[in-house]
Amino acid sequence: MRNSVSIRLSTAALAAATFLAGGTSYRPAFAQEGSRPDPRKLLEQADLSRNGWDTFEVTAVIRNYQNGELKDEGSFDTYIKGADRTLVKFMNVDVKGQYLLMLEDAMWIYLPNTRKPIRITPLQRLLGDASNGDVARTRWAGDYDVTLKGEEKVDDVACYVLDLVARSDGATYNHVILWVRTEDSRPRKAEIYLTSGKHYKTIFYDTFSVVHGRLLLAQMTIIDRLREGSTTTMTFNGYNPREIPEKWFNKDYLEKLR
Amino acid sequence: MTSVGPGARPVDPYRILEVRRAIRVAPGGVLIAVLMACSAPAGAQDLDYRISAVDEATAWHLNPATPYNAGNAIVPQPVRGNTGTADAALGYGIFSTSLGFTAVASDIQRPDYRFDVREVAVDLSLGESWDLLLGKKILKWGTGYAFNPTGVIEPQRSPSDPTDRLNQNEGRNLVSLTGFIGKSSLTAVYLNDAVYAHSSLAWGKNEIALRAYTFLSGLDLSLVAHYREGDRLELGANTSYVVGNDLELHGEVLAKRGSSMLYHAILQSDDPAQEFTAFPYAAADDDSREIFCKLLAGGQFTFANGINVALEYYHNQEGLTLREWKRWMNFVNFQDAVQRGAVAVDPSLIAPSRLNLLWSLLTLSPRGTMRDYVFLRGAYAEEGWSCEAICFMNAADASVALIPTLTWKASAPVSVYARYTGYLGSNGSEFGSLFTTSGLGLGIGVQL
Repeated sequence: MRNSVSIRLSTAALAAATFLAGGTSYRPAFAQEGSRPDPRKLLEQADLSRNGWDTFEVTAVIRNYQNGELKDEGSFDTYIKGADRTLVKFMNVDVKGQYLLMLEDAMWIYLPNTRKPIRITPLQRLLGDASNGDVARTRWAGDYDVTLKGEEKVDDVACYVLDLVARSDGATYNHVILWVRTEDSRPRKAEIYLTSGKHYKTIFYDTFSVVHGRLLLAQMTIIDRLREGSTTTMTFNGYNPREIPEKWFNKDYLEKLR
Repeated sequence: MTSVGPGARPVDPYRILEVRRAIRVAPGGVLIAVLMACSAPAGAQDLDYRISAVDEATAWHLNPATPYNAGNAIVPQPVRGNTGTADAALGYGIFSTSLGFTAVASDIQRPDYRFDVREVAVDLSLGESWDLLLGKKILKWGTGYAFNPTGVIEPQRSPSDPTDRLNQNEGRNLVSLTGFIGKSSLTAVYLNDAVYAHSSLAWGKNEIALRAYTFLSGLDLSLVAHYREGDRLELGANTSYVVGNDLELHGEVLAKRGSSMLYHAILQSDDPAQEFTAFPYAAADDDSREIFCKLLAGGQFTFANGINVALEYYHNQEGLTLREWKRWMNFVNFQDAVQRGAVAVDPSLIAPSRLNLLWSLLTLSPRGTMRDYVFLRGAYAEEGWSCEAICFMNAADASVALIPTLTWKASAPVSVYARYTGYLGSNGSEFGSLFTTSGLGLGIGVQL
């Protein structure tokens, strides 16, 4: 898996170069503020890589590998409105008609055979090592308190190390250490820890692509530290800014969606 | 598996005495079907469909100690059976329908086929905030997993099969108006179980249900009111809340003054050696001023390794107390003894005793006959395999229905499963005296 990741990284570098040459609005948080960056601004900038617009849709494809062998694959159409509303439509044939709704700190799953939304927790698994929150919660800044721990290289890329501690009930994880690139605040790597302190997952933010002039996350890889050999990739494509009806994000509207 | 009545078919093991559905199409369904046939929604529309089929072969082990079915002659039970279902959920623009076909066969009955229009509805958007729904539809309002006290207009759930795996639930004829206001909604529903058959329309009782829902500071909160013509007003509330990132809590309560529940006359007597000559059920609490409550409290916890555990406690004040259960069970045991010839009675009383035994079975409910129950479910999925274990326990007599299921997803649309059902409990306990002691089902499901 790591070999394939490094191949993707070169694509990311190309995308980033293209993006920077284009001179879009994505800038390091600390460009005009002296040498020590504001960790919250870094986090907000990192959030931009998964949230191009205030209201948009994107398709997430999740692939779960066991010892390098593809075990499971799922496709999810994701509709995002504002900072705290996400609707995920399950596209695989065997889960057709299922929806996941995130509103503020809460999540519900709608299963067509049970015909009602069921309140769930962010930690429940969506597919492979990906939790519901990995797809539905796309903004760290609202969920975590952050402190800057220092600088460190990840695969020869200079990064700031941010320490994130959950401050909202809806945060997917309790404790996250996040590496963001010093160059442009893009996320590079995250380590997830359980309340017990046990290392739960490592996430690599592998590739980014330029969409409508914005540099957005194209793929991330999740390595489960509790289940040896288990790796999950999440690929994002089809970013599309669009208006999404308000009522789609009302729990009672889920059974009306198709 | 157990079922009751002549020509019994093997249904879910604890769904005994559920009212059998006739093949029928609701008048609302006819109207919507005509609309669907005649109307073409404006603009390009995609046909949305979900087709699934399940075939389940099951073998049961009959309970030799059951007092309900001496020699498997009172209500003959199958030992082997097969149930096949095919379902199509279709959506086109504002229209949606769910059609079902069921085929049932067993070693004691010829194959039986049934076609159901389970749902057919038109869903109109009246601007940004309001929706009007008309037709035959399943609407679910409860927050519970195995029990649904505030699901006042939905099909009552079976705790042994909360997800309705064979898609047997049907919608009800209704008109529903829902307003979506931010994180809240308000729904008003009119229902009538009218039936169109033999070229005539038979109206049912009028029914009204209201629900106000809001999401406030992480709390899901719904208030529910329900009134059925000739019955009493029911008021309730349900809620759910997530603590941290792994614990979900939920609860429901429904209350009404008095009860129209029918109770067997033997519940008032300590003498089991009786035979009733007329239908022995009456609404004993019809004039009562007592508040009758249904209460549910539960939660689910997800462990870091993906194991999900759900636990629920359910109290139904309309259920039998342990004392009432024992009176009823003593009465059933007496009728059983008469049928087995263990008690010497006048031969002319044997046939009425059999009728009394059949009548007494109407006391049993697939959702639990007594007052207090505990439901426990554990589930885990890994690499195409998933396993689930359900434990449904009567808290008064500690008898248990245990239902583990192992499912293998052979490919994206195909899954194969094995489902065991075991009833554990002493003689005279609720689950220990059922028609069967265990059943093993092997099934294959396809979804397109």
